[in-house]
Amino acid sequence: MSTQQQQHSTYAASCPDCDVDLHSEDPNEIVEFYRRHSSVTGHDVEFTRIGPDLVDAVTEDDLKEVYTLKDVVTQLEAEYENGVPIGAVAAAMSEQGLSIGETLEKIHEIRMGGGLYEPQDDHLRAF
Amino acid sequence: MTQWDDSQAAAVSENVTDESSTSSANQLADPDPFETEKETVFGRDWIYAGHANSIAEPGQFFTRTVGDRQLIVVRGHDGESKAFDNVCAHRGSKMVEDTPMTDPGGGNRIQCPYHLWTYDLDGELRSTPKSFEDASLNPDLENEDVQEFDCETNGLNDVHIDSVGPLLFVNLSDDPPALSEQVGPMADRLESLSLEAADHERRVVEEVECNWKTVAGSLLDAVDRQDRLPGVESAETDLETDDHCWSLSSTDDDGRAQIHYCWPNVTIEVDGDDGYATCIIDPVDAGRCQLIVDYYARDGDGTEAEREFVRTSRQRRAEAIELAERRRDADGASTLERTLGPNEHTVHDLHGLAQESNS
Ligand code: FES
Ligand SMILES: [Zn+2]
Repeated sequence: MSTQQQQHSTYAASCPDCDVDLHSEDPNEIVEFYRRHSSVTGHDVEFTRIGPDLVDAVTEDDLKEVYTLKDVVTQLEAEYENGVPIGAVAAAMSEQGLSIGETLEKIHEIRMGGGLYEPQDDHLRAF
Repeated sequence: MTQWDDSQAAAVSENVTDESSTSSANQLADPDPFETEKETVFGRDWIYAGHANSIAEPGQFFTRTVGDRQLIVVRGHDGESKAFDNVCAHRGSKMVEDTPMTDPGGGNRIQCPYHLWTYDLDGELRSTPKSFEDASLNPDLENEDVQEFDCETNGLNDVHIDSVGPLLFVNLSDDPPALSEQVGPMADRLESLSLEAADHERRVVEEVECNWKTVAGSLLDAVDRQDRLPGVESAETDLETDDHCWSLSSTDDDGRAQIHYCWPNVTIEVDGDDGYATCIIDPVDAGRCQLIVDYYARDGDGTEAEREFVRTSRQRRAEAIELAERRRDADGASTLERTLGPNEHTVHDLHGLAQESNS
């Protein structure tokens, strides 16, 4: 991605420890980056830019209540045919202050409890 | 091994444009050069794995992925470093989680979480759960439910490991040549510096959207420009090659400041007495690589000289990455010759050797 493309990318994430970032159009690519990065450093990675529709999905609620992760998946399900990319969920959850590592851990817990399933790898639906 | 001299440099430089273009054309023809290199380079050559100081105590280990294989590098009870595939001999499951050298794991045994087969630090199977042993006495169990095992043959798959000072290298092939054949005189030069006396300070990892060889070529140029290190007046650069591997070393007059590019994917920069850095260039796929940089310092953190070294090293790498990105972009537009840096022969040599390895 050229510098100019980077300025207009929908998603960006960074590791503050290493002072490096990644720009992408695909939120799951950011999750892949997180996995590779954390595998050799143990560092967590945070979203620094997310798509505006995701911001709406977690903040524009009539009752202004805080959504749980499962609510976020339900909220986004209509937009995606075969499951919500976990990167989109992580991006949305970053609005609530969660790092990518923290979101993936939560997703794992909820899946083990039977609240979420993966219709395809790294894509989520709520039960 | 042959010593590189200027006459060879000139000979290669004259037709570097043609040969480099051919080499990049061939790479385009290979649908996924990294898939091929997993065998011809990463499956065959010595690869830098990590630092022995990070696993100083018996049982301490880290994981390192080479090509498609993840290894466990562990300190044995006998004080020796060992390497095994991170694959259980029972049903091939991954046993330990990803464990970076900077945050090593530890324990007296390696235990697979799935059915609790347990191995000692030599990779020998030591125990399996009681229930499996009991299982053979249970008449209700089908034969295939009963695990037949033999502690003698059910060990972990071990991988060759050797070192230059505290720097640990692994080799995935069954019968590798000696590490010294691959690293050449770099070994003596580094071993004279007691690298084990310095402590790990910091790991920085970044990704570059370029083929790993493009980044390697640009970092090679940086080795040739060692005179830009602070305090280095003049430096001598040697390229050691044989038909497959090579190393490029630049050493200042008193041998304290050194930069080495060691085939296939690690650089080692030593800044006199203050510290050193290693940089691994690991392919992620054909179009992306991960640079894993580790800084070591002799006097704990914080001297101005150390900070200056980290700054210079980072700066040099940033320039190399920029150059790699320019080369990548130019490659696409078939204008490779215009963007080759000042040391075409080294770049040519890297492409050429990787090409030979692939064929
Ligand atoms: S796969 Fe490791 S014990 Fe069964
Ligand atoms: Zn980091």
